[in-house]
Amino acid sequence: MTNSMSNVEFVKALIIQHVRPHVIDIIDQHQIGFEVDQNEIHLLLLALKNAGWIQMSYLSAIDWPGENKFEVVYVLFNWDKPVYVQLRTKIDRTNPVIDSIIQIYPGAKYYERECHEFFGIAFPGNPDHHKQLILEQWDDIPPLRKDFDPKAYSDRKFPQRTYTEDYSLSNSESTKVEKRKLRKQRAESLKGGKKQ
Amino acid sequence: MRQMKLFLGPQHPGMHGNASVHLFVDGDIIKRSYLLPGMLHRGFEKAMERKLWVNNISLIPRVCVPEPDINEMAYAQGAEKLLKLEIPERAHWIRMIMLELARISAHLMSYGGLGGPTGHYTLMYHAHADRNSILDIFEKISGARVYHQYIVIGGVRQDLPKGIEKDINAFLDDLESRYIEYRDLGIENPSVIARIKDTIMLPEEVVWELGVTGIGMRSAVGKPYDLRKVMPYARYDQVEFEVPTSTYSDARSRVDIKLKELVQSISIIRQCLKKMPEGPVRVKPSRGQSMRWKVPKGYVYSPVESSRGEFGYYMVSDGGINPYRIGVRGASYPQGLLGIEKYMPGTRIDDCALWVDTMGICSPEIDR
Amino acid sequence: MNTIMTEKNAAYLNDNAIFPLKSRLNSAPRTAPDTLRGFHTNDWEKCIGCGTCGEICPTDAIRMVERLDLPLVAGAHQQRPVIDYGRCCFCALCVDTCTTESLKMSKEYIYSNTDPDQFLLMPEETWQGRRVEQGYVKTETTDLLDLKRVEMEHLTPKERINSYIEVVRGYSKEVARQEAARCVECGVCTTSCPVQMHIPQYIKSIWEDDIEGALRQVYETNPLPGVCGRVCTHNCEAACAIAVRGEAIAIRWLKRYIIDSAPNDMYELIFNEPVSEVIDAKIAIVGSGPSSLAAAYYLRALGYGVDVFEERPRAGGVMSYGAPQYRLPDDAVNKDIDFIKRIGVNIHTSTRVGTDITLEELEKKYDAVFLGTGFFKARKLNIPGSDNQDVIGAMDFLPIARDFARGLIKLDDINVGKSAVVIGGGDVAFDVARNLIRIQTMKYGQADVKLTSLESFDILPASMEEYTEGMEEGIQFHFGFGPQEIILKNDKVEGLKVYKCTSVYDQDGKFNPQFDPTKGAFLEGEQVYMSIGQAPDLDYIPESLKSVIKIERGKLNTNSLGQVEGADWLFAGGDIKMGPDIITAVADGHRAAQGIDEYLYGKAKKKATSEYYNELRNAIKFNTPDLALKPKKH
Repeated sequence: MTNSMSNVEFVKALIIQHVRPHVIDIIDQHQIGFEVDQNEIHLLLLALKNAGWIQMSYLSAIDWPGENKFEVVYVLFNWDKPVYVQLRTKIDRTNPVIDSIIQIYPGAKYYERECHEFFGIAFPGNPDHHKQLILEQWDDIPPLRKDFDPKAYSDRKFPQRTYTEDYSLSNSESTKVEKRKLRKQRAESLKGGKKQ
Repeated sequence: MRQMKLFLGPQHPGMHGNASVHLFVDGDIIKRSYLLPGMLHRGFEKAMERKLWVNNISLIPRVCVPEPDINEMAYAQGAEKLLKLEIPERAHWIRMIMLELARISAHLMSYGGLGGPTGHYTLMYHAHADRNSILDIFEKISGARVYHQYIVIGGVRQDLPKGIEKDINAFLDDLESRYIEYRDLGIENPSVIARIKDTIMLPEEVVWELGVTGIGMRSAVGKPYDLRKVMPYARYDQVEFEVPTSTYSDARSRVDIKLKELVQSISIIRQCLKKMPEGPVRVKPSRGQSMRWKVPKGYVYSPVESSRGEFGYYMVSDGGINPYRIGVRGASYPQGLLGIEKYMPGTRIDDCALWVDTMGICSPEIDR
Repeated sequence: MNTIMTEKNAAYLNDNAIFPLKSRLNSAPRTAPDTLRGFHTNDWEKCIGCGTCGEICPTDAIRMVERLDLPLVAGAHQQRPVIDYGRCCFCALCVDTCTTESLKMSKEYIYSNTDPDQFLLMPEETWQGRRVEQGYVKTETTDLLDLKRVEMEHLTPKERINSYIEVVRGYSKEVARQEAARCVECGVCTTSCPVQMHIPQYIKSIWEDDIEGALRQVYETNPLPGVCGRVCTHNCEAACAIAVRGEAIAIRWLKRYIIDSAPNDMYELIFNEPVSEVIDAKIAIVGSGPSSLAAAYYLRALGYGVDVFEERPRAGGVMSYGAPQYRLPDDAVNKDIDFIKRIGVNIHTSTRVGTDITLEELEKKYDAVFLGTGFFKARKLNIPGSDNQDVIGAMDFLPIARDFARGLIKLDDINVGKSAVVIGGGDVAFDVARNLIRIQTMKYGQADVKLTSLESFDILPASMEEYTEGMEEGIQFHFGFGPQEIILKNDKVEGLKVYKCTSVYDQDGKFNPQFDPTKGAFLEGEQVYMSIGQAPDLDYIPESLKSVIKIERGKLNTNSLGQVEGADWLFAGGDIKMGPDIITAVADGHRAAQGIDEYLYGKAKKKATSEYYNELRNAIKFNTPDLALKPKKH
């Protein structure tokens, strides 16, 4: 275990040598994350691959509608110096484009395709990135975006199931459930100020 | 040159899960192939964002059907890393027992799956009967046979029932005593050997190109690249076990490694049962009732060594009561998608189902 | 193996075996292991309909349905869970989070039906009409609730007895949020609160660190939250769902936390627009206790002009002259009263209705009058020696003690002897006794206070907190004795003679104490304090009025909204209507505001109003409290 801390330090030194990351995030002795700029990604991926991080474990994106950005994340691993490196970069949400990395890691081809399908990010350089992969006959916005509401979609497309007997014994004149719901709505309408 | 389009699956006795492989064949040889995923797409990643941290326990085992415990482990481990939570000692050992039992059951199912494409159904029935005994043990421990919902954030949900060591030991003894029989039925059987020896090769460059992990990697690279050794989680650094490897990766060596790993898992479980300390098994992540538990902000990748390779959850939290994003890295994603597209052409139709089986492709974790 | 799984097969083999059987085959179906998560059972007696199972269910399989055949009591809702087994994934999170441990899972795992409509089932104690074995049940490890309260700091007894510093220290933000995180938002507390506060919502606002929202939610139903956050009788905590198996959420202290953390300028955000007089009608309010101030607040918010007349120099009634300083300091009372003044209520202190201004004048000058004068006269027991000057009624002593605590009376001038005997078993008796402990310690360096009550310890009316804190402070208790005579020597009090009280209530539940003269005691003391109840002072009501209204045992007869029968311009609330505590007085005030509004709104002239005003009016009327529910009798 004595080498592990220096593995993380090694990665950190390697990255800092090339760029100034926005965020450096050491999670434990086997994982470190960096947030960098979009145009620095290829350079860093090549540097890491040459230093031994030859396995690409994961590629995906995260939607930050509040900041109007997508965050693309690459996770790499090196079996000889076991440290997971997360490289994150934020790209514009209204017109998301980032160059494909399949020349560096060919295995990223399908991850990028899936990312396009679920978020709408374009990966020029990946010949099939726009083709449909998992969702058949999809007719809505890319579903992993935060503004896609799966419940609304499901209510639109599929019939509702209702049961005939619901075991209730109520009396519309003296229903307590309605009154409680109204009181709760009234109280919640008074919220305001700082949210956590 | 006429090409015919054939569909392997989704309904096929040799197919694993509901995925379809589209083959363009010329005579007997596959010229082009691609996987058509999506039939098992249940929208997990989106659904997990809409539930609370405590609720997700019921959703996550269903991501990977043959081996659900790895999902629970990856999720709990990731959240614990963000919470910086120390779980009790006994919980680590119980988790290891569950994970190794799950590994044995997944290996048995996959080894039995060799019987489907080759027509050796006896092997399949034996393997499933033994898997059934494991499911009985799971039922005694956690209350359900397949989807246990047992490993949670903070430890395990409840302690092992009294007397379970006897049941587990009895089962392990029985399985170990029939190990040779299993080998004879499958991998030492000449008619099976003819199908799997020197076929379905996986050279080392392909491993690194695709990003294959697990048995495929260890069979080609020859080094013990197993997350349990290289980056030990739970208490894997306190048990002794070997990681079988090979440098010549044909289908037979991969199946052989699978069986050897099964024996190693048996030994790990035996050691766990002996070394396990007494004590509490669960710690709550914070005060308050469970629907108000929060996980601090952060991004973490939480990998687990499953029976098919590196299975990881990429978890992002924004400090709230729901996970912000959970991305699932299926262990067989690389082989399933890019592997089928690039490396299945050139094999024969009869080897297609064996290709899918010995590469360890599991479609629920590709589709999620 | 001599056990076959089904009866049918066992019977067949027994009768048709080809080879001879050594013994008859039995049939015993495979039973599931003890932890199996099978179909649910629910004990309706224990279940309180809190709905927590429905909230946690990951698949939305559980719904609460209304069942009006259940009893309407505090601490429970008239609803029970119904499970859609098409959705249920048998995760048992509902069982783990059940507040009363009524929901369990059985060992049954087989159910089949050709009709898909028959998969919505209501769990009861039996499954499909049969008693079944228990499978998965909750244990301490699997419990998803937090049953222990977060610790609240109190002053130590030594620090307490020679000062009037507030005993309960209050929560910090971190601790308050942890305590608020324990709430399951079920709402059974609201049904037991006399003013039906929006308790789950303001607790959630605390948890989300939204003090502004919490302040608004609190003020919807209670204009005296700082006071209630310290001295309320907290029926809500008795009804709390978590209290069934653990410690109730500290609702009272969380309310105090909201008020303590709200700076004065945040109060301006309670109303979106400033409150003003939009209705041409004025109301006079007699007394400035909790019921009067609550009525004043709501009437002012509804748009009326309000004048409050208080005979003492400070407003507040029992809040300023009854409750002790160490439990309800002046700062807290002033913060609440100041806001009521800021919205335009005029409080005229040192103005006694009956002498400085008469009730007849109020009837002429104002459109309606509200009486909230309370029970401020001390009652004394009529036993020999009780007319001595050192035999003091509680209600005569407590205002003096309060003025002493705020520095208006000097230590030398206060008439407290070296030792005292306090008669009474309620909270007021404890207030008297604990005040005496402090004053005696400050004056003489040590205290000697004996407390005696008719009631034995198990039926003591005072709250457990008062008893524990009083015991820590050094009160000597003599429970179960009845006072007979005050022994005097040279016109000075020597002590109290008591007989053992064998029973307090008779078979019909009426107050009829019985004594045993052979078992007596003599309790030494220089003074005797009597805290056996209070009486109202209704001298200000003229005879002409008294002849048309009904007054029974000091309480005026009113309708449910507080309108006095016989004089529809007159309203009453607080102790002179029914009592018994501050929060009921606040409820009376709100109901009286509703009643006065119904009486006056149609007749009075109104100015043009804004949409916000209309919304506020509707909200105030919507929130008029119903009578609180009583807890279930066990």
